[in-house]
Order: sequence, then C-alpha cells, then structure tokens
Amino acid sequence: MNKTADVIIIGAGIIGAATGYYLSKKRLKVYVFEKAFPCYGSTGRCIGGIRAQYAHPLSIQVMIESIKIFSTLRDELNRDVEWYQGGYLFLAHTEEKKRTYLEAIKLQKQFGLPVEFISPEECSRIVPGLNCEDLLGGSYSPYDGQANPFAVTYGYLEGIKKHRGKIFTYTEIKKINLTGEKVSSVVTDKNEEYFAPVIVNAAGPWAKKIGELVGLSLPIEPERHESLVTEACERLFDPMIVDYRPDGCYFVQNYKTGHFIGCYTPIPNDPGDHLDASSTFLTEMPRRMVRLLPKLRHLKVLRQWAGSYEMTPDGNPIVGATPIDGFYVSAGMCGHGFMFGPALGKLLADLITEGKSSISLEEFSYNRDFSRKELMK
Amino acid sequence: MKKEIIICRCEEVTEEEIVKVIKQGYTSLNEIKRILRCGMGHCQGRSCLPVIARLISKYNRKPLSEIRFPTSRPPLKPIALGILAQYHKSLDKNRNE
Repeated sequence: MNKTADVIIIGAGIIGAATGYYLSKKRLKVYVFEKAFPCYGSTGRCIGGIRAQYAHPLSIQVMIESIKIFSTLRDELNRDVEWYQGGYLFLAHTEEKKRTYLEAIKLQKQFGLPVEFISPEECSRIVPGLNCEDLLGGSYSPYDGQANPFAVTYGYLEGIKKHRGKIFTYTEIKKINLTGEKVSSVVTDKNEEYFAPVIVNAAGPWAKKIGELVGLSLPIEPERHESLVTEACERLFDPMIVDYRPDGCYFVQNYKTGHFIGCYTPIPNDPGDHLDASSTFLTEMPRRMVRLLPKLRHLKVLRQWAGSYEMTPDGNPIVGATPIDGFYVSAGMCGHGFMFGPALGKLLADLITEGKSSISLEEFSYNRDFSRKELMK
Repeated sequence: MKKEIIICRCEEVTEEEIVKVIKQGYTSLNEIKRILRCGMGHCQGRSCLPVIARLISKYNRKPLSEIRFPTSRPPLKPIALGILAQYHKSLDKNRNE
C-alpha cells in the first residue's frame, strides 16, 4: 500500500478524528494512528457534556463555534450523534462562587451567549427535587447540551475513510523522523514507516510522550478521574448539574436513553495515566448525587470506570504549531476535549492549510504564559 | 440470519445490526460495544458478548481465543445509589468509633 499521506494524526479520540475529518474535507489524505481502538483514551471515558460557560474569552468563542457544529453534525456525518440542547446549571453555594459566575456571565454575554444567574427557586423549577440547602442560585445557560462521544468520534472517522483516508488501530507510534528541522515520517510498533509533511499530536494523555519523540517538552500531565452510570428512568430534567463544592459532583441525564452519568474532581488530584476503578468513588459519588437530588436514591448504578483528564498548568488546551516545522499539537484538553473537539478540529485544519484560522488560537499556543487559570474548570 | 434476533437483550441490539458493523471493519468487542451499546446494559454483556465474539470469529475467520473481552466494570450487579451512599456513611461511622 501507499505509505505517504498529506497529514499523519496520532490519536483517534475526538481531537484526532475531528481534525482529520476537516483536513480530509479539504481533500488532504489523512492517516490516523491509534495505539488501541478509537475512543480508548479520554474521549470514550467522558460523560458527554458540552458547554460554552467558561471564564476564558477564547474558550467561550471556541465553544460557541463548537455548539454550532454539534447542532449540524447529524446531517454532516449522516449519523445520530445524540446532540441535545438541555443546558448547564452551575450551582453556587458560596458568595465567592456566585461572584465568579457573575463575572463570567458578563464576559459570556459579550459574546452573545444566552446565560443568566438564577435564584434557588428557579433552579428547583428547572431541576425538580433539587436540594436547595445553602444554595445561593446558579449560572444557567440553555445553549449548552450533550452528545454521544462514541457516535461523534466514529462518525468523524468514517468520514475520513470516505475521503480516502485510513485509520490504523492497535498501531503505536514509536519514532518520528525529522529531515533537517522538519517532520518527515513516523515509525510504528510494527516497524513500518509512513511519510507525511505534517504530523498532528492528538494523543491526549500520552501527548507529552509523543512530544518527546521530537524533543518537545509539553506541559501536559494526565490525572485520573472516575465516572459512573445508572440505570435508565423517565426524564426528570434537562441540564447538566455542576456542583463545584470540594465535595460536589457533575451529572446529567441522557435525554435519549434516560441513564444518569456523572463524575467528580478528586481532591487531592490523582496524577498518572492509571485507570483502575475505586470503591471510594463507588460510595462517595452516590452520596454526592443523592445529597443534591434525594429522589435519585432508588436508581441503580450499572457501571463505574476511570479516565484521564490531561491537565495543563492553566486549565486550557494547547493547540497550534510548534518550533518543529510541520509538527502540530492539539492536546491538554483538561477534561474538555469532547466539547472543544469539533471547533478545534475545524480551526486547526484551517491553521494547517491556510496558516490562519477564523478564531485565533494564539492564546492556546504551547509557549503562552500559563499563569492565568481557567476559573470554570 | 433473521432480522429480529436480539443478541443484546439489555440494549436490544439485533444480530443484523452487529453483523453490519463487523462487515464495516469493526472487529473488536471493544469497538462494537461502543458503537452499538451492546454490553453496556444491566448484565454488562454476560449473555451477549460471548455470542458477538463468535460472530466476529465467524465473519473474520479469527480464532475465538484471539478475541479480547472488554474490561469488566464494578459493581458486578447493579446497586441502588441510596444503598451505596449509606455504605459510605457506615464506613465513616466505623472509622470514628
């Protein structure tokens, strides 16, 4: 077979799949290399939430674009990606959190996002049965939503195949060859060499290791997070609920199947790419869910699993060109890869082919100042 | 092959749907699970995954022994959120005593 492509992408999660899709739509030949199966990494382990409520202007802009894409993805990919605009409700239990949300809402409104700070009474109208103890209100946007990570990613990958691209599963990249200062080929664990003038590092939790293959030190460290899913029931409410208290949690009901799916951020954090499930989570997560919504107590937990958040120092992704000619990065998504994926894929495809994108990704560049932290991480 | 044969009873996935995906080139249980949801229901694939493994083996002439099964996830049987939440409390109580 022909071993030369226009672009080689490392990683078949949402980032690699979406970037590859928009490149192949521009008639470029795309090869995607995946060390396991598509969605093996972070994408297939996320809970599928999609929101534009952020505190960083670029994240808000990128997510407004991403939500536009999600809403048209069914027709684009000819597949039900289970996009549902059910909104997100961020709960404020402290004055400090309320101030953070009010500040963010001001910024979000500048970009045209429909978002309001609502009273506890309105919160419990949107989420009937919500425990409003200590609740000061919530930041609510009906623009946010949910989709199926598997359907979206496999849909994009099928699209790459239709545009004469190829997906190599169970194939790990062991070496990246440079010619002078420019990338020229990759070598797989099967000791085969594939050539392309452009290589995209979309390796998620393993992006740092891939960067090291070209001598690049990327500040991306995986952390373990855990999730669970319950059995299905009739629809109880629409939005994803986010409780940012130290012992809070996030969960949403799948609009189509009726399952509840949720997770929390462990304190202290749990570094490394290990993915074992813990009994602490299996008892702690239900406690947090039932505290927020007592009527969920009879629902049964079907499964729990773990996944990686690939963290950067400021909680924002690293996307764009690097000092190595032809080597691009789109990783360090900090748990937001699925929702950022479609827009970042489209923007990076423009950046690679035209040298610029409609929304500048400069503030996500790999050598930015990492001191400004995302407050709605 | 009959259209109405249900292989995954929890998620109601038919043999026809599974064979279609296998013929598209998805030949691991992990991929088929993620595309069709078979094995994601109450029984976690106890009844359907061995049958799907046989289908993969049949259509790809691959020995059954080479087909890898997805990771089994806790809990082994579904448990109510309220019970798990109480278990957390009882653990704490034991610790305090």
